[in-house]
Amino acid sequence: MGILAAAIAVGLAAVGAGVGNGLIVSKTIEGVARQPEARNTLQTIMFIGVALVEAIPIIAVVIAFMAQGQ
Amino acid sequence: MSELQHSIRRQRKYLFYLLSLFFLGWGFTSAQSIYGGLILGTVLSMCNHWLISRRILSFSFAVEGEQKPPRLGTSMRIATAALAAIIALRNPEQFHIISTTLGLMAAYAVIMIDFGIQHYIKRMNRKEVK
Repeated sequence: MGILAAAIAVGLAAVGAGVGNGLIVSKTIEGVARQPEARNTLQTIMFIGVALVEAIPIIAVVIAFMAQGQ
Repeated sequence: MSELQHSIRRQRKYLFYLLSLFFLGWGFTSAQSIYGGLILGTVLSMCNHWLISRRILSFSFAVEGEQKPPRLGTSMRIATAALAAIIALRNPEQFHIISTTLGLMAAYAVIMIDFGIQHYIKRMNRKEVK
């Protein structure tokens, strides 16, 4: 049961992160293509967005290992 | 040097300050397992920060040069978190698991706080110019 819980936690978090990252990257590329002079700002915002999105699966992985251990 | 490279360098500096504080706590307090966990998490978080910054810089250079962009390496960073969790769960006397998780979040917290501070400074400068 613990393994199943861990798998669901990591899987759902990874799906969320994948979708989120995909949206961030596609919108950044779209923005750079439209306004190449805003590349620096968009790059910084993309960096922060990717960092924000990836915080959740990292916590989920730790929780999954804790659930698996119990 | 671009704005992002400047902010990455600044964030790395803040992470080193944070790490030095955790080392002081580990050396001079009795809560060694908590500070040990924070140190482990922060070190791996710095690896994550280095990876994410490298990947995003190479990604933007590839987009600019119309080459095939590299992958962002999310799985690598998740694997780093798994490594931290395994180390902390196998050695609970040395590394507290919750503080390891908090340490893993250190880079992300630094990125967000730094962004907030820089945003505020830019806004204040714009007001002064007006």
